[in-house]
Amino acid sequence: MRQRAIVRRQRILLVIMLGLIALTFVVGMGWGYASLSFDRLLPVLLGKGTAKEQFVLYSIRLPRLAVTLLAGMALALSGALLQGLMRNNLADPGIVGINAGAGVGVALYFLFFPAQADSFVYVLPLVAFFGACLTAALIYLFASRRGTGIQPIRLVLVGVGFSLALSGTMVVLITSADPFQVDFIARWLTGSVWGTDWPFVWALLPWLLVLVPVALLKTRSLDMLGLGDVAATGAGVPVERERLLLLLAAVGLAASAVAVTGGISFIGLMAPHIARALVGPRYGLMLPLAVLVGGWLLVAADIVGRNLADGIPAGIMVSLIGAPYFVYLLLKK
Amino acid sequence: MDLRTRELEVGYADDVVVRNLNLSVLPGRITALVGANGSGKSTILKAMARILKPKAGSVLLDGKAIHKLPTRTVARQLAILPQNPTAPDGLTVSELVAYGRFPHQGGFGGLTKEDQEVVRWALRVTGMEPHAERPVDQLSGGQRQRAWIAMALAQQTPMLFLDEPTTYLDMAHQLEVLQLLQRLNREEGRTVVMVLHDLNHASRYAHHMVAIKGGTVYGEGAPADVMTPEMLREVFGIEADIVPDPRTGLPLCLPYALANDAPQADAPRDGFAGGEETAAVAGR
Repeated sequence: MRQRAIVRRQRILLVIMLGLIALTFVVGMGWGYASLSFDRLLPVLLGKGTAKEQFVLYSIRLPRLAVTLLAGMALALSGALLQGLMRNNLADPGIVGINAGAGVGVALYFLFFPAQADSFVYVLPLVAFFGACLTAALIYLFASRRGTGIQPIRLVLVGVGFSLALSGTMVVLITSADPFQVDFIARWLTGSVWGTDWPFVWALLPWLLVLVPVALLKTRSLDMLGLGDVAATGAGVPVERERLLLLLAAVGLAASAVAVTGGISFIGLMAPHIARALVGPRYGLMLPLAVLVGGWLLVAADIVGRNLADGIPAGIMVSLIGAPYFVYLLLKK
Repeated sequence: MDLRTRELEVGYADDVVVRNLNLSVLPGRITALVGANGSGKSTILKAMARILKPKAGSVLLDGKAIHKLPTRTVARQLAILPQNPTAPDGLTVSELVAYGRFPHQGGFGGLTKEDQEVVRWALRVTGMEPHAERPVDQLSGGQRQRAWIAMALAQQTPMLFLDEPTTYLDMAHQLEVLQLLQRLNREEGRTVVMVLHDLNHASRYAHHMVAIKGGTVYGEGAPADVMTPEMLREVFGIEADIVPDPRTGLPLCLPYALANDAPQADAPRDGFAGGEETAAVAGR
């Protein structure tokens, strides 16, 4: 049976991805500027390292790895949900204004509420989060019609419009700011993963703990939405309600990730695509794989960007792979 | 099983496309909705299958307003095949058909034994067994349509609604689909309601014909009673001879000219909702 074969294939791929993530974690733990080499990893993990080694591993490298893993997973899941509910395989969290909204939030906060150093790192993600959510809510308001709810095509158009308008706003804001501030905002926009402490891990984790199971429960609805509104309703899916619920989940996931990592695009586009190419379009099989692929992609991009490419932000590393991939997808269509 | 509309009014935004519609579905029969482009027949079908919400009036399923019932409950009573449905790339026929089990499944877990049997049955009746593992997007038009009908069948509903199931198919595939529906009706007693463009198909395969004009019923009954030169003139804007089919004796429509005050000549040619207004006014 082909069905059984594909389920087995998915299981194997999940295990491979988990192994790949573990392997990449090991590389990430032993590779960096500070002095903690691979041969010292095991002793340090067993608690036999020096204070300095302990610090590097537990306060710098591990939280960063955890944050990038979780953010990558959240973005991938968000992208997969959006692609399903919009019936558009080119959808990405950027389309519902997440990146632009969070960016304007950060820029405004930075320019008008001069930072208090101690609370700053914790307020910024909140600001970014609310900026993203507010933008998504506005896009939803403009894209929805009474009676029919959100129409996917309107959501895409309004989303793209909002993203462009907000990017313009950001340029205007930035040109009036002083160079130091511009520097930080610019780095934030490129997805430099600046929230690299344990509290950020704890801020991200609940989203995934709640929304991954929710998404897994909704895989059937997502499959049905892919058949179009008439067929989905006809087969018993409350289309309007499901679409709103999934949209909320996607926004929450992407906003929480972007708030911590800065503007990262393409993960939400690429990860579901790769998963689909490997196990086919059904969400029950594709979604768990997409989540792992997304997490791994961002972890790997961050490690490579930091070490090989002389401190290139993870967001740019991802775009370096993602942009050609996007073009490839368009050409293939 | 009883489905009827009461003073139904449906429309898009400010346009009212269907008005004052009182229509009952005949259980165990094949009903064909016919009418000119933009007459509202497809809108009526969708409203009766609770896809579109009424502006006024109601659709009653066993006496209850269908739009207030949980959509999953309705999905166990009636299935609808949309016009030109599309499946995601790479989805196989058996996967598509299994989606039809949605209204019978719980939130989690795979297909039960019963589900799998129903899927196999649906593939068999539609003759899609040999193609079960092929992607839907690689099938021919007729095969694709049969795959979607199989999905609707997997819902195991007493009623089947189809929106122009033969459009874009060549003649052999059209007959293939219509014969399948006829067989389902005869052998399984399924109620079929469909929008058809070809009057001669409607005459041959339907027990009951409903001619739609201006979003409401112009006339209904056995095809032999409904298919008259007057109906064709007023509903379709054509002059036609009605002759008995030499093989079956059923009425055949042979159009030979546009009606003098032809509404069709000026009406928009697509199925857009607004077209009916023009057609209706011009026809008077």
